[in-house]
Amino acid sequence: MTTHTTAPVAQRLSGAVCVVTGAARGIGLAIAERFAAEGGRVACFDVGAARLEATVAGLVARGIEARGYVADVGRRDAVADAFDAVARDFGGPVGVLVNNAVWARFQPLEEVDEESAGRMFDVGLKGLIWTTQAAAPQMKRRGGGAIVNLSSTSALQALTHSIAYAAMKAGVLGLTRASAVELSPHGIRVNAIVPGMVGTPASVGKFDEATVTARLAAMPLGRFGEPQEIASVAAFLASDDSRYVQGAEIVADGGWTIATR
Amino acid sequence: MNRLEGKRVVITGAGSGIGRASAQRMAREGAAVLVVGRSAGNTEETVALVRAEGGRAEAMVADATAEASVEAMVARCVAEFGGLDVFFANAATPGTNTPLLEQSVDEWNDVWRVNILSCFLAVKHAGRHMTQQGSGSIILTSSAASLRANAGAVSYSASKAAVNSLVQTAANAFTGTGVRVNAILPGLVETQMTRKVFEQARERGVEARIGHMTPMKRAGRPEEIAAMAAFLASDDSSFVTGQWYAVDGGVSSTHPHGRIAL
Repeated sequence: MTTHTTAPVAQRLSGAVCVVTGAARGIGLAIAERFAAEGGRVACFDVGAARLEATVAGLVARGIEARGYVADVGRRDAVADAFDAVARDFGGPVGVLVNNAVWARFQPLEEVDEESAGRMFDVGLKGLIWTTQAAAPQMKRRGGGAIVNLSSTSALQALTHSIAYAAMKAGVLGLTRASAVELSPHGIRVNAIVPGMVGTPASVGKFDEATVTARLAAMPLGRFGEPQEIASVAAFLASDDSRYVQGAEIVADGGWTIATR
Repeated sequence: MNRLEGKRVVITGAGSGIGRASAQRMAREGAAVLVVGRSAGNTEETVALVRAEGGRAEAMVADATAEASVEAMVARCVAEFGGLDVFFANAATPGTNTPLLEQSVDEWNDVWRVNILSCFLAVKHAGRHMTQQGSGSIILTSSAASLRANAGAVSYSASKAAVNSLVQTAANAFTGTGVRVNAILPGLVETQMTRKVFEQARERGVEARIGHMTPMKRAGRPEEIAAMAAFLASDDSSFVTGQWYAVDGGVSSTHPHGRIAL
């Protein structure tokens, strides 16, 4: 695995209030770090109070302007309250929203239960409606904004035991396009990142060793991605560098989905 | 912004429009750019613009559809700057508006030669250098017209769809080499290639209607495509290969924009 460069980056998000959901770890944390490196002020949402507190304390200790918000994005009222708190605490409206939070369970069809499927759709699909609903008025107030939704290559090429997950992540793409069309008149851009295999402990742990080895050999870029390599895509989509990119699917998967397997 | 510090870049079709804006943007981020085009005047003007900002660029007059010329571009970049890290194959033609049933084989072949043969040659010769080197980023200019009809001539749309396929097949062929291949799909952008559309709209006083089919209700600017090119050239896109990225104001994500009557 290559080491990601830490070359200086521009302050493309200078002063922008950025909400990142699921920010306590993994890709969400990498996004919060990258946004901060580009001048963003980061509102970290997570459902896990203990891990969020530790993460935010770590960011603040590095001189980053970050605040933590314990919120279950699957609950509309909790999301609305958290966005009110963000505007109050940062003294200004939200300019960037990254919908990264997810709750996932991979089950064979016969074992999919109502509670698991419900929770997946509540957090990973309906939750995006609630955060977008809460963010849009604040973005309109500042004349526009950028929303970045995390989909998955599971939405494009399915794996077994992922019926609910694939449905949720495909849903994110439809939600993204429809949000883009509806919010475009307000200067709000909505785009999706479609990550492939990213080497977070949670994602690699889902597969046995033989599967991991086979996938690495067939991967055009020869390796899994790093959270920072998704964060750099998110930074592009959050910044004015993507100001003519609207409703797009930005796949970052090491080339995994380009070939018939 | 120094994401491209030390990168050596070739850009074709760089005498104007998207190519010129990309040369300026990439040089601003630290790249050394070989500015390739068919016109000495235009390429030299691009170089002058880059240098005026303190950037590094050299001009080269060459034909992007001739194999020897493309080999010469790679050689020149290596000789001039010490290597080749990024090849942006951006030269293209819109073709003619001859109706499909009247289209001649010569007209068809001319569009395919400029729009896809040039990309094949870029992938082949930049790819040869980069696979040996173990790294590199090849960027091809496709078009939103590659995805759907009614955004350009038949030959143009078909040739750009071929560019999309080349991106996937080349990226797959380069598995394990560290070389990335991606396409940008611009929507309507005012350049030399599309100038007629804009001029006609202005003459008829309907300039405001340009881009009215897109959710963003406007045409794009060359700098907005250049920003994507800089992203794909940089290590910010290090996990991205084989992709088609639309920069089109949302036109490919929707049906022609309108509101459903309730």
